[in-house]
Amino acid sequence: MMKVTSATMMDEATRAALASGRAEPSLGLFIDTLLEMRGVSEGEGAIIAGATLEAEIMSDMSPNALDMAFAAIDRGRAAPKRALVYSELGQTPAFLQDVILAAEADRGWGYGGPGIRRLALDMSGDKAGGAAKLEIIRIGAGVKVPWHTHKGQELTLCIAGEFSDHNAVYGPGDFSVYDGATRHQPVAAAGAPAFALAITDDGLRFEGLLGALQKLFNA
Amino acid sequence: MRSDGKGSGGPPKPPGETLGDLERTRFADLLGLIATRQDRPAFAELFAYYAPRVKSYLLRLGADNAQAEEIAQDVMVTVWRKAALFDRAQASVSTWIFRIARNRRIDVFRRTKKPDLDPEEPMILPSGVEAPDARIEAMETETRVRAAMKDLPEDQLQLLRLAFYEGLSHREIAEKLDLPLGTVKSRIRLAFGKMKARLDND
Repeated sequence: MMKVTSATMMDEATRAALASGRAEPSLGLFIDTLLEMRGVSEGEGAIIAGATLEAEIMSDMSPNALDMAFAAIDRGRAAPKRALVYSELGQTPAFLQDVILAAEADRGWGYGGPGIRRLALDMSGDKAGGAAKLEIIRIGAGVKVPWHTHKGQELTLCIAGEFSDHNAVYGPGDFSVYDGATRHQPVAAAGAPAFALAITDDGLRFEGLLGALQKLFNA
Repeated sequence: MRSDGKGSGGPPKPPGETLGDLERTRFADLLGLIATRQDRPAFAELFAYYAPRVKSYLLRLGADNAQAEEIAQDVMVTVWRKAALFDRAQASVSTWIFRIARNRRIDVFRRTKKPDLDPEEPMILPSGVEAPDARIEAMETETRVRAAMKDLPEDQLQLLRLAFYEGLSHREIAEKLDLPLGTVKSRIRLAFGKMKARLDND
């Protein structure tokens, strides 16, 4: 898969949506992870936002705000730090690890078929239909995911380990796009489990969008 | 190092102004001190500068005063905890802290139930412009974008602020400023294009 070092092919609306955090949260997290794992900086948009924060007006904080912050810091230090269920995910971007830890504390990993476990990442804040579904899939070493299709498009990013399908081999930072019709069967490499960050659009919201993303990175 | 925000970098800039090179370097040093030796005065100085600004940002997003206060504090506690992850070669302190605050947007949206998406506006579109091959070093990009921002007229800067900082869609900006949607789109493209043109010319 071709590596790219620039995201400048995105248009202004897209860059603004990503830099400002306005993008649909699941898609935003997916793209942030993708960019970070590939060492791509979102560049100008993030710099504009950072400089704008400097020019922001100052709102009064409560008089004891700093003391409260130090108190929270001390409380956090006393509390034992929760560890990731799977240490392999310790190599993923820090912001993704935060989401993983929250999901592990919330619902935890569930059964996804023989040798497969799934962790749903709830980014939307509500369960309303139509939002993208984001999850991490752990495929045990050498395990074949059953042949399947999706209701909509699925974008899969390898975040640890290695897996392959009929097209290619995917290591950390590589991703694939499947449309709703394509049957596929990912297989984890022997010797170590593989982890994929997968986002599906349920056929509603991102029609055409993920395909454009594929063009962006695979062209 | 003093905790009143008046350290060796001189008095803090008033709102409305961005930081100069020396101040940005100093803030990166402070974050480094937090990472290496849990330096509380360094944190207090960053807190004095950033917490009130982050709070303003959250108020703009629709948080009420109590929410904005709470989340701003939480953002700053995260700054302390994640200080070791800050890479000064990759981003300025402001960009890094903005990103932390930005990631709290979801909390704000949960509480205010503000719709975060304009269904009529696509989110991912290829612009059809080929990416330039040259990879510009991150800090060089930082310096140049900031210089380009200083050259922009206020009305164009305002559009960039609304889009990249506040996260309004083009449609929302058009409504807010009472401008035709097409005008907003073309002006943002123009403003962003000027920055890129400047990048290319340097």
